[in-house]
Amino acid sequence: MSTLAKSITRSLHSTASGKRVASAPLHDGISALTARLTSCARIPAALGPRTLTSRVTPAAAKPPRVSARAFSTTPQLRRWGIFKTVQEAEARHKSGPFSFRAGILFVLTGIGLYSYFTFEKGRMERQRNTESHKSVGKAKIGGEFVLTNQNGERVTDKDVRDGKFSLVYFGFTHCPDICPEELDKMASMVDKVFEQRGKVLRPVFITCDPARDTPKVIKDYLAEFHTAMVGLTGTYDEIKDVCKKYRVYFSTPRDLKEGMDYLVDHSIYFYLMDPDGNFVEALGRQHTAQQAADIISTHIGDWRGPLKKDA
Amino acid sequence: MGLLSALGLSSGPAASPPPAFPDRVARQKCWAARDSFFACLDRHAILDSIREAPAAQANCGAELKVFESDCASSWVEYFKKRRVQEAKKAQLLAQMEAEGGQKLDVVAKPADTK
Repeated sequence: MSTLAKSITRSLHSTASGKRVASAPLHDGISALTARLTSCARIPAALGPRTLTSRVTPAAAKPPRVSARAFSTTPQLRRWGIFKTVQEAEARHKSGPFSFRAGILFVLTGIGLYSYFTFEKGRMERQRNTESHKSVGKAKIGGEFVLTNQNGERVTDKDVRDGKFSLVYFGFTHCPDICPEELDKMASMVDKVFEQRGKVLRPVFITCDPARDTPKVIKDYLAEFHTAMVGLTGTYDEIKDVCKKYRVYFSTPRDLKEGMDYLVDHSIYFYLMDPDGNFVEALGRQHTAQQAADIISTHIGDWRGPLKKDA
Repeated sequence: MGLLSALGLSSGPAASPPPAFPDRVARQKCWAARDSFFACLDRHAILDSIREAPAAQANCGAELKVFESDCASSWVEYFKKRRVQEAKKAQLLAQMEAEGGQKLDVVAKPADTK
């Protein structure tokens, strides 16, 4: 019998300390209880294992009342932990931690995380692509320039971009068939991008034929294609320099007589540049206007920096 | 210009200077003339109108004259050469296809639509 009392004592002690409710009066109460239990142990179950639930509260510090009831079920009570009543604990025990609400929350969180990561993955891949075009230090394609626009003003590359993406095309006004076709396509691309993203793209035409393409000529020429287009010209050396920066091949002869009839052979790509002047992507003859516009819009959507939207 | 007007050859009182470049209308006109000349060459099975200039002149002289008047001479030469190039390209593609080559339409798309 004394072993039973000891084990009860132990369990009382361990639960009390385990739950960190072991306050001084409780401790006293427990010791007292233990003492009583030891002494009452010999009394048969006359008093029955009635509940002692309230006895572990500080009220348990009243030894006489405790001694009135013999066997304690106190350890069991402590097991319910955070629940106020046994019923509550039982209800929770039946359904477990999974309720309908928790299930919905779980599924929604899952869907949310999945779509977020899928989106991020695509964005990261495009970003990696864009990053791979940049070299350390100096940009591989594109760069600074000072040229003359169609109104005869001297402008830098930064003035031309004006906080927007830019789509740069090299050509010349006497181009027989490809440039006009491509410029019509460019106008269509720009309209589509404007519809999708607002006026965040600047179409830029740079001539490879500075001898014939004066600002006035370029202005008249571009008026046939798109009002938003900026046309740039310069001296032979300025144009040669900017073509080199954009890796554009051109075959314009240096010394020309006025009125000479000649063609210029040149590269025919559209260069998409971001608002910082970094090369993003090259678009060519193989893209339709819609495909090219979708590619541009996607890149614009990925842009996290400031972007100017006004006309 | 000054000489022409001095000789009274200027057409109209307000002779506006011709556009410094072939505008949209001029380009359409030139392309139409080119197409009609090339159609004539096709009818007579002439591919290279530079090498076979006499034959082209004999069979499509009228079309060639319109072509040359509606297009700058550099354009005429360019289109004649391009016709030959395009034909060679088409021939090469057809040959490769016949030998079991597969045509690849390589078009870059945004990464997320792959």
